Amino acid sequence: MTQKELHNQRLVNEANARTLSHLTRRHFLKESAMGLGALALGSLLPGCLSHADNGSIAFDPANPLAPKLPMFPGKAKSVIYMHMAGAPSQLELFDFKPVLKKLDGQDCPDSLLKGKRFAFIRGVPKMLGPQANFVQRGQSGAWVSDYLPHFATVADEVSFLKAVTTDQFNHAPAQLMMHTGSGRLGRPSIGSWVTYGLGTENQNLPGFVVLSSGGHFPDAGKSVWGSGFLPSVYQGVQCRSEGDPVLFIKDPQGMNRDIRKASIDAINEVNKVEYQEYQDPEILSRISQYELAYRMQMAVPEVMDINNEPAYIHEMYGTKPGKACFANNVLLARKLVEKGVRFIQLFDWGWDSHGTDPSTAVDMGLITKCKQVDRAKTALLLDLKQRGLLDETLVVWGGEFGRTPMMENRDGKQNPFKGRDHHVDAFTIWMAGGGIKKGGSYGETDEIGYAAVSGKTNAFDIQATMLNLLGFDHTKFTFPFQGRPFRLTDVGGTVIDDIIA
Amino acid sequence: MFLSIQEFVGHLHPVLVHLPIGILLVGLLLQLLSRNPANNISPSVIRIVLLCGLVSAILSSVSGYMLSLSGDYEEDLVDLHMWMGFAVVLVAFFLYVKIIRQQRDRLYSVLSVGLLLLITITGHLGGSLTHGADYLTAPLENAGTGNLVTRKPIPDIKEAKIYADVVQPLIQANCVGCHGPNRQKGKLRLDDSVWICRGGKDGLVLHPFKPEESELIKRILLPSDDEHRMPPKEKHPLKESEIAILRWWVAQGSDFSRKVKELPQPPRIASYLLALQDGNSAMAGSAALVPDSPVAAASEKDIELLRAKKVEIIPVSQGSHYLSANFINAVHFTDRDLELLLPLKKQLVWLKLGGQPVGDSGLVYIGQCQALTVLHLNNTRINDSGLLNLKNLYRLRILNLVGTSVTAKGVSSLSGLRNLQSFYLYKTGTTPGDWGSLQKSFPKTLLDSGGYSMPFNPWDTVNELKPKPVK
Repeated sequence: MTQKELHNQRLVNEANARTLSHLTRRHFLKESAMGLGALALGSLLPGCLSHADNGSIAFDPANPLAPKLPMFPGKAKSVIYMHMAGAPSQLELFDFKPVLKKLDGQDCPDSLLKGKRFAFIRGVPKMLGPQANFVQRGQSGAWVSDYLPHFATVADEVSFLKAVTTDQFNHAPAQLMMHTGSGRLGRPSIGSWVTYGLGTENQNLPGFVVLSSGGHFPDAGKSVWGSGFLPSVYQGVQCRSEGDPVLFIKDPQGMNRDIRKASIDAINEVNKVEYQEYQDPEILSRISQYELAYRMQMAVPEVMDINNEPAYIHEMYGTKPGKACFANNVLLARKLVEKGVRFIQLFDWGWDSHGTDPSTAVDMGLITKCKQVDRAKTALLLDLKQRGLLDETLVVWGGEFGRTPMMENRDGKQNPFKGRDHHVDAFTIWMAGGGIKKGGSYGETDEIGYAAVSGKTNAFDIQATMLNLLGFDHTKFTFPFQGRPFRLTDVGGTVIDDIIA
Repeated sequence: MFLSIQEFVGHLHPVLVHLPIGILLVGLLLQLLSRNPANNISPSVIRIVLLCGLVSAILSSVSGYMLSLSGDYEEDLVDLHMWMGFAVVLVAFFLYVKIIRQQRDRLYSVLSVGLLLLITITGHLGGSLTHGADYLTAPLENAGTGNLVTRKPIPDIKEAKIYADVVQPLIQANCVGCHGPNRQKGKLRLDDSVWICRGGKDGLVLHPFKPEESELIKRILLPSDDEHRMPPKEKHPLKESEIAILRWWVAQGSDFSRKVKELPQPPRIASYLLALQDGNSAMAGSAALVPDSPVAAASEKDIELLRAKKVEIIPVSQGSHYLSANFINAVHFTDRDLELLLPLKKQLVWLKLGGQPVGDSGLVYIGQCQALTVLHLNNTRINDSGLLNLKNLYRLRILNLVGTSVTAKGVSSLSGLRNLQSFYLYKTGTTPGDWGSLQKSFPKTLLDSGGYSMPFNPWDTVNELKPKPVK
């Protein structure tokens, strides 16, 4: 067998496997047991095929990113999701607990530990009072600590969710939970769902862009912006604020743009022949991706270059041109929203305040992290507002879980610095713009910030709310996979009406 | 709490009831097949099958009778179901006797057909009892419209009746399926004020002014995994706003006749109530940006002309004919091309021309698109003189002129746009001195001058922390 025959053989096998993967046990049972009669009856009784008409989104493989209609007119057109990987301490930033201050240094009562499992706390830890000073801000009277002096001035623009909970106490699964609605790998991320449902406005740029800062990728890896079982064209496109914005976007040396165009045309020609043979819609997506990549070569370097922004904007955001940092990414996010990109996901790493060394101490390293993001995220809200973009851009800021009111005692020994362990029962997230109420707050925790006492929410509720603002009923926004319709919010999620304007 | 024997046997009815249906139908089928000698079906088989069917029919009748004593079901329907059930037993018994006596006469055939009919009717009545009378036909009636409960639109929430227009529709949509005329779970009916006040088998469900003591409210506040929570897990939970409204209604004395405006409303409740006014709470707020009144569809041909110029033009949502147009990808278009928008002027509500080479002569066409609620002209080449064309766009809610050379003079010529909510004027020819008079010209509008600055403080100098020696 020649190399070419071997290659063709592989392709045929792959195509066959793909066809078979769409035929499941359910198909077999349905078709063999009831056959055509069932199909005929099915078309007579539209009520029986509920997922066929409500919720399925038209997917055009040749034009997968074209703008699509939401179920009802959405208030938000695009999303900037700032995820602080590692989980910032709500007890130092937003959730003010004077009682916890009084308990500082005392042994944690048994009742809080019974039946609970922590990532690192063992035995009986000591309580740790808030390390920051809190002040009520603006007309809404929201508590924001002096760790975030700039953000404190715009507290009236946002709504806080103060009793968010999760069921995952390790970073990777918890990040997956927040972004894909499942603690395990394999589900599409919310950015993929949104671009699948709405497409994107600018046809020369990707619809879902991912930017990361802080020196590391999030623990869950690239799956937090993966497309799961959705067509692969909806996965996040990772861009960089240092060096080439997208790796390998420049033409290689010696290749000019005409040759590049000719080679892409040739590849697409081959792919078209391939499509006629196998009819796999992913081939059409591949063709459109090549074409998008070619257009991106022109559009991306322009939009990703922050140097053409005026000096006062750089000052406002506190950027460091040429370096990879959160402020640069935030400025890029604003530029991308302005250019009609649907979903921008920002990750900033380094918020895991365990207190094992100074950089993770809630009274030292956490302050540094706050300094890195405070100015930029405040500037983002103000800049979107003055450009008339905040009305239709949903901004979300948060982590994957919260931190304990107890001081971490790794392996039963006191940590050298003041730190807090992972905590699933209460944390704070804020949202702004895009139909979110100004100066709102929903949910309360008990007097030491250990558990939610009212307005408890979880990742599904947040996802349901985000989808609602974009014009989707999260219970009807489904994708058929392995014989059943899947939802971002699985079987959970309630839209949090209280923070919707 | 223990179930009494009677209740326990009663609860077996939903299981037992399937046995006679299946077994008797098999018996009837065997009988029919035995008419053809080639099938070689022995009469003793039919006899045994019918005997089994008869015994199971008796068992399910007894259990059914015990279940009916619980009183959770509508009496008329239960009575009918019960008598039909007894008839099934009786007819099955006669049929069995006939088989033993080997009398295959005409009466035998009549009895067989009668049994088939009786089983069908009894089964259907039973289904109506458990799932509601319209369970079978509802999907046909709702075909095309989905299962949305259509609420009577409330033209003016202040004049609406608190019970009849607000609370009752809520209860109707969420509770009456199990606590209504067809079924009275827990002996509770909620489809009428008299029934609501009467309560259920555990007593009163409503204590006016005391929501925390009223079972009606307590049950819906239980955590979703609590077995006493209402509506039960498999049904749609009430929305936060709906719970808040019900709770507020009880706290205000659960009045059945007064109007909404006669009751004091905290801001949160007032906003929930206002959301009902538009007829669809899910869309309240954005409703203002899309007109309520329906519009005829625009011609596909006119839309295609714009798409050919790479204008992203799509309806604002599924099932709507109103259009949004975004010129972000548009290439090679001139002000004259905006004339293409005119055939769509009734449908076009959102128009984004940001960053495009639009000048004053293009505004002549835009000024005729009177359905517009959102208009972005940021970073375009327009001037004061062109703005005059926009003064008749009365429906405009959001107008973005950021980054254009318009001045206070041009801007104030638009002061007749009374519905304008947000007006963005960052980086325009307006000066800080203009703001006082401009705000007077637009008393209800949020004018955004932009140019926000943030103070610099030593805090902003990020110094990496030097690790301290570990103790």
